[in-house]
Amino acid sequence: MRKLNKVAKLAAISAAVAVVLAGCSSSSEETATDTGAAAGAVSGTVRVLMEGVPDTDIVSGLLADFNAEYPDVKVEFETASYDQMRDKYVASFTAAEPSYDLAILDNPWVGDFAKAGFVQPLDDLIAATDGYDYADFTAPLRAIGESDGKVYGVPFYNYALGLIYRSDLVTAEPATLDELAATAKSLTTADRAGIAMQPQKGYKAFEEWGNFLFAAGGSIYTDGKVKLTTPEAKKAMETYIEMYKSSAPKNSLNWGPDDALRSASSDKSAMLVSYNWMLPKLNNPDGDSGALAGKFKLAPIPGGKQVLGSWHWAIPTNSNASDAAWAFVSWISSKSGESKRVTAGGAPTRTSVFTDPAATAKDPDYLATILKILSNAEPLCQGSNCDEMITAVGTEINAAFAGEKSVDDALAAAEEQANKIQAE
Amino acid sequence: MSFRLKLMLPLLAVFTASVGYPLLYAFYLSLTNYKITARYNTRLVGLKQYIATLQDPNYWNALQVTGTFVLLAVFIEFWLGLFIALALQKQKRIRNFTRSFLLTPMFVTPIAIGLLFRFLLHQQLGVIPTFLDKFGFSYDFFGPGKALYSIIFIDVWQWTPFMVLLLLAGLEGLSRSPFEAAKVDGASAFFTFRKITLPLLVPVISVAVLIRALDAMKVFEYVFAITRGGPAIQTMTIQYYTYQTGIQFYRLGLASAMSYLLLIIVMVIVVILFKRIESTRKNP
Repeated sequence: MRKLNKVAKLAAISAAVAVVLAGCSSSSEETATDTGAAAGAVSGTVRVLMEGVPDTDIVSGLLADFNAEYPDVKVEFETASYDQMRDKYVASFTAAEPSYDLAILDNPWVGDFAKAGFVQPLDDLIAATDGYDYADFTAPLRAIGESDGKVYGVPFYNYALGLIYRSDLVTAEPATLDELAATAKSLTTADRAGIAMQPQKGYKAFEEWGNFLFAAGGSIYTDGKVKLTTPEAKKAMETYIEMYKSSAPKNSLNWGPDDALRSASSDKSAMLVSYNWMLPKLNNPDGDSGALAGKFKLAPIPGGKQVLGSWHWAIPTNSNASDAAWAFVSWISSKSGESKRVTAGGAPTRTSVFTDPAATAKDPDYLATILKILSNAEPLCQGSNCDEMITAVGTEINAAFAGEKSVDDALAAAEEQANKIQAE
Repeated sequence: MSFRLKLMLPLLAVFTASVGYPLLYAFYLSLTNYKITARYNTRLVGLKQYIATLQDPNYWNALQVTGTFVLLAVFIEFWLGLFIALALQKQKRIRNFTRSFLLTPMFVTPIAIGLLFRFLLHQQLGVIPTFLDKFGFSYDFFGPGKALYSIIFIDVWQWTPFMVLLLLAGLEGLSRSPFEAAKVDGASAFFTFRKITLPLLVPVISVAVLIRALDAMKVFEYVFAITRGGPAIQTMTIQYYTYQTGIQFYRLGLASAMSYLLLIIVMVIVVILFKRIESTRKNP
């Protein structure tokens, strides 16, 4: 009898432990239900790490509208600088108890995070959400959020590049790479550079040079492999280096977007290749441009094709509030959410927003140019190990720039390293 | 267990937990192909990561850059520090104020110093380029062939006070009698410095140089805040390269092997230096 009691106690303890463990596992991870839950039925707190940029402020300003429809979903924003974001996200994705229930992913991260299982596929949620119209997002932006045929991120905002120029100085938009080089040279004076460049080692150098490559008629990938030992790449590189020598501000080898923007807004440079949403910043009468506000215009990169960057909303696999996270994402990235966001100054992602009266009312020309830009744009990297591949190519470009390597050697090394990295 | 051993137990426990475990875990990682984004594929690969590191030209470049940085920075800091320490030793008035003022850079976190100099030397915003411009000079502080020296200059600015602190303490601890004897014998100031001050100071110099060199080998913040290893890979120090490999590119197995190889190199240098200090102490 005594032995039987012991067995019973053991069984009871085992059952209790099993129940506790089951409880733990269900509370630590929650995969989104694929029902596209109704507004009133969803509740929870969604913690998300955002970059400290204007688009974050715009989304933050729309939270009251969201809560009018979803009163039981609380969205908590934590902001950080770009340098901190990826590491914080990876720490959260791999932790037993996550810090974030919703994530925004920069385009080079999507492939790696999807393969690592850090983020959930969203296909079922998209299909179950009435009127979401995923196909309405511009095709290049959709492609960035997809991996192995599944959707892991829906577009938040684009950062496609374009040519920003001073309309009082540039009489005709350059249509080719040679015209761009000639325009930059002709605009260079003792007090003002023709073009503010951003050849900073790594991502920035590749991002800027990628536009020159497209303008020269080249491409980054050929038959699924990185191919940079081409005449177009060589011409792009030679023009890029020559333009720096003849038309860029002196001692700007280490410059990034902020430096170039500052140079343009302080009348020290006449043009720059930058993110399309830098234009409103430059033309803001209360901003840094002062009397120059309103004189800046945006054009597609000569040749029509440009480098595309974007941020996507994604739901971590270990999110504690997947349903609430999707409720927010599907609201902010819906057609009406996009309309509100773009009207407030956010960078567009959906095709329909370009014909939306509210969104286009303020500056129709600007939005028309962005539509042109988004319809012919490509990211720097496709597939996995993108951060490493972009850094490797950007380092080689910078090496050619710094005179450490010849153009041919730098391009050959960039191609070899990029393919090796992406094959791993 | 002896009483002495029991007294050591708390220290041993803390040491095992805080140093031993991370070291052992990093060693285990260095024998695997661990990648943060491919954890499902982790397996033991033996010495493959070590061989890959030794065959990586960028690793050797990073070692060379770091070596140049350490040698030049510590050399300048030592001589400048010694010069200032000798001057401070002779100072009669406001000694405490001068000493605390000189030590200030040391108390600021290196990442803040990196950002400070990034803006001070910035072509558009910096006071120094603007000042140079007024006199018709132009110097690209972070340009090719110059960036590493700018980083060294920043290190010298921040860490010379550390040398001053140690060397001044050493100078003030020296017995006065040899100096008084030399003075009576009519020895010149330079002769006294070369034949008495420097030899007597050797133990302090050895420790100061060793500590500073080991610290300089960890240079990361200035590179992170200013150059990110560029132009090209001219300021790619070993710590930044390891960080890039392990954190930015997720390859923690490879980064662990890089760290272990660096640990071996540092250990060899430290053992050699300690032996030299020991032999100097025995046969001054």
